[in-house]
Amino acid sequence: MKLVSLISGGIDSPVATYLMIQRGVEIVALHMDNRPFTDDKNLNKAMDLVRHLRDLTRSPIKTYIVPHGPNHIAFARNCQRHLHCLFCRRMMYRIAARVVEKEGADGILTGESLGQVASQTLQNIMVENQATKVPIIRPLISFDKVEIIDIARKIGTYEISTLPGLCCTIVPKKPSTAARAADILCEEQKIDIDALIEKSLEGMYVFSPEAM
Amino acid sequence: MYSVLKPCKTSAAFEAIPRERFSLDLDQCEDILKNVCTIVTNAGILLIVNDQCEVSIHKDGRLILKTDSQELADKQAGRIAGWLEGTPAIRKHRDSRG
Repeated sequence: MKLVSLISGGIDSPVATYLMIQRGVEIVALHMDNRPFTDDKNLNKAMDLVRHLRDLTRSPIKTYIVPHGPNHIAFARNCQRHLHCLFCRRMMYRIAARVVEKEGADGILTGESLGQVASQTLQNIMVENQATKVPIIRPLISFDKVEIIDIARKIGTYEISTLPGLCCTIVPKKPSTAARAADILCEEQKIDIDALIEKSLEGMYVFSPEAM
Repeated sequence: MYSVLKPCKTSAAFEAIPRERFSLDLDQCEDILKNVCTIVTNAGILLIVNDQCEVSIHKDGRLILKTDSQELADKQAGRIAGWLEGTPAIRKHRDSRG
């Protein structure tokens, strides 16, 4: 089985990726580059995490980087702010689904766990799932943060994930915790989603570990 | 106008919190700041670059200063306050103290 893993510079996604590699899953990593709403350190951390996982598990991990900043700008300028995290995740899934298709993979892998941040409620996750028909695997869904950190420490990713790196600054002050699909679809009509996806894929490039 | 605090445990930036409540008209901020800074984008938050420090300006007046130097963060917050204070870009709230 092959999964496209959404790798951020945070604690959860490398743990989710590690657990699935241990299950024999082949991984293609995908990092959504949130600059200018994050900083270079975040991208560097994500790539260090991929490199660490590759060395630890002795598995080749092909890694794509996709510019996501322009997508943030389009949603922030045109759509309701409190729904921003949902638009962001739905775009990530749509782009990941295209990488799934390109790589002949079987699904998308994420490090989400229920209730950990405001946007990760069951209702929001259900709305986010509707952005794609590709299966989304969430091995950490029932884990709490302490359990995830324990694994991260054991596999040596915690120290990398907690290095300095700017959190996403475009996150709204009060993100929606119970979005309705109808509201999201209505807002998304203000945007040419297909054009944004194509533009994102045009900017996509493969990370070469030797380049950093 | 601002007190500077660290925003997150990763220490990659500082957050400047307004001492009194006000909101910012980001379009007006852009008009004012474009003469003294490079505007990266105006999209719900206003991103500007000045000297070595990139700053996110939020509608509620908060600033995220992308630097690990508190001295630089303080300096930048003070300069931005100086550029914006007394302009129509700032709308003070009725219940604001001071």
